[in-house]
Amino acid sequence: MVIINVENVTKAFGKNTAVNDVSFEVEQGRIFGLLGPNGAGKTTTIRMINNILAPDTGSITINGQEASPLTQKMIGYMPEERGLYKKMKVGEQLLYLTQLKGVDTKTAKKSIDFWLDRFEAMDWKKKEVGELSKGMSQKIQFIATIAHDPDIYIFDEPFSGLDPINSETLKEVIIGLKNDGKTILFSTHRMEQVEQMCDDICLFNKGKAVLQGNLRKLKASFGENTINLEFEGDGSFLDVLKDVRINNRSTNFAEIRVLNGQSMQDILKLAMESAEIHKFERVEPSLNEIFISTVGEDNIKSEEV
Amino acid sequence: MDFGKILLVLKREYLTRVRTKSFILSTLLTPLAFIVFMAIIVIVTISDSEVTKTVGIVDNTDVLFERLHAIDSVRYKNVTQFEIDSVKSSVLNGEIDGYIILNDEFINQTESPTLVYGGSGGISFIESVEDHLREVVREEQLARSNVSAEVREIFESRPQLKSLKLTEEGEEEDNAIFGAAFGFILGLLIFIGVFGYGALLMRSVIEEKTNRIVEVIASSVKPIELMFGKLFGILSVALTQFGVWILSYVGLSIVAAPVAGIILEAQMKNLPPEAAEAAAANPAFDPSSLEQFIVDPSIFVYFFIFFFVGFLIYSGIFAAIGAAVDSEQDTQQFMIPVMIPIFIGYFLNLRVMENPDSTVAVIASLFPLTAPINMISRIAATEVPFWQISLSLLLMIGTFAGLMWVAAKIYRVGILMYGKKPSYKELAKWIRQG
Repeated sequence: MVIINVENVTKAFGKNTAVNDVSFEVEQGRIFGLLGPNGAGKTTTIRMINNILAPDTGSITINGQEASPLTQKMIGYMPEERGLYKKMKVGEQLLYLTQLKGVDTKTAKKSIDFWLDRFEAMDWKKKEVGELSKGMSQKIQFIATIAHDPDIYIFDEPFSGLDPINSETLKEVIIGLKNDGKTILFSTHRMEQVEQMCDDICLFNKGKAVLQGNLRKLKASFGENTINLEFEGDGSFLDVLKDVRINNRSTNFAEIRVLNGQSMQDILKLAMESAEIHKFERVEPSLNEIFISTVGEDNIKSEEV
Repeated sequence: MDFGKILLVLKREYLTRVRTKSFILSTLLTPLAFIVFMAIIVIVTISDSEVTKTVGIVDNTDVLFERLHAIDSVRYKNVTQFEIDSVKSSVLNGEIDGYIILNDEFINQTESPTLVYGGSGGISFIESVEDHLREVVREEQLARSNVSAEVREIFESRPQLKSLKLTEEGEEEDNAIFGAAFGFILGLLIFIGVFGYGALLMRSVIEEKTNRIVEVIASSVKPIELMFGKLFGILSVALTQFGVWILSYVGLSIVAAPVAGIILEAQMKNLPPEAAEAAAANPAFDPSSLEQFIVDPSIFVYFFIFFFVGFLIYSGIFAAIGAAVDSEQDTQQFMIPVMIPIFIGYFLNLRVMENPDSTVAVIASLFPLTAPINMISRIAATEVPFWQISLSLLLMIGTFAGLMWVAAKIYRVGILMYGKKPSYKELAKWIRQG
């Protein structure tokens, strides 16, 4: 069942068209990734889904309803720019934010206690947020997002600013939510996170949705056109290769996308002449590679990838 | 608009503000300061009348003492017959508070007499002795120069102005000076309220931006709901504070005169009978004079109306400025156009107080950006025609609606914008966009 439907949506700020005729569908109970470099239009799209901004043209429906204050209640949203009132007590703050989502006081209190307990944060209830450590306030932020028990969870760049431990916790929580039948949409500009978590993706570039669908199928459709090469010794042979794109290169590793039917055997031969090969593997392309080959190398500023 | 959500925002804004120490202290200490101020005035005037100081007069002129004695028989004692050393020792003993040697040179005004006193002098005591001496010397001079009785009368006459206010009901006593001063203070209070609480609203908006919580909230409430909730929340804080101040003022002004009367009476009982008699005959302080602090409560109704609308006019702009910038340092450029009219109102307030019916005062009290401050001053100081009050309010409400419309658009775009401080051109673009 389609739970979020974005149809031919366009949004411009003055002369800058942030989102240009974008359409995609999010299925219930799945993890959906919005990918793309910074400035591709992900946040604007997410804000429109959350009814914070209104599209210039096109329509957005949540559960069949046009985006409105009513649909806002169905969504738990954690923006990229997130924070809490520093001088407000944790308990009061969570109650306030949950009440704003239209939950009555009693239900809100019960739900907040449940989550505080689950995150082992009950002791912080009477503390001001300013007194908490960064990791603690991130947990409170997360509770604020989910305490009204929505069906849809939207996280904009959820992993930015998280340390590895909290990143891992968040990943587990997201997967846990999916197992509870909830729908999750998140955006990121870091492709490797998507590969590990997403069922479906939509690739954004310059305000347009350039590629979308089931992640596995998408990858399979590109075929095993990529070589993961592990070696020891002089890597300079990589520089003389023609008709390839090397995406992920380090002193003893390279991800080589083979273009224009260049023979993989020739690459292996050349590699064997210059270095000791530990591993030579044909694989499906990485998402990063898919993104590059979809939008074209010329369309990407190098620092954005 | 969802009023339930506006109310939630309002409640949070209100409760977090009124719980702060600074709010509680400033709300409670101001009336306390007022009580202390009034008490000091009363105590000073009472203690002046209560302590009857005695001054020994060594009269070498043979004429001045009699005249002094006629003015104040309690204070002035003739000590001419005593040795100067024994006079000095009685000052040191405390039998008398001081002494003055009066010579003929003093009447000719070739020399000034000297008051020698022990213990504390007190400015009003010295001044009154000086007054008395001037009076007796002038009288003696007049007597000596044989001027006509007519001229004497001229010198003795003390013209005083009594003012009565003519109303429909007839002539009644009116304290125009107090009314004007009171109006000035009310105008000042509105100026402080609009400016101070407007700035508080602005800081509150900036705080939500710098805390990065605003987008979380925007995913639950409309920007306009958030803005109105915050605006009326801060307004409620201001009304609470002013309400406490005005209630305590009204209460104090009502009890001030009776309480001062009781205190004064108690003081009298402790005095030696002859001093009490003198004090009663020539009171330096009349407790009933405190009754002039009691004002017609309708002025407070006007005060709240004009503060309410005045705050609404300015607060939208303050909120919009807060939304447009990322930090308080960036606000200055935008604050100037807001500060100009409000400060003009503040500076004109003195003129309005001095001359509440002048053309300047009428215009200032009608112009919607200065009206909140200047109209209340006029209402307190003079009889403002009802059509002027109504017109002023209508203009203010129109201005409020127009400014709020602009402010809401800037606010809506601004709260989600981070980074570079926008130019006026960009703000205009935001308004068109919204």
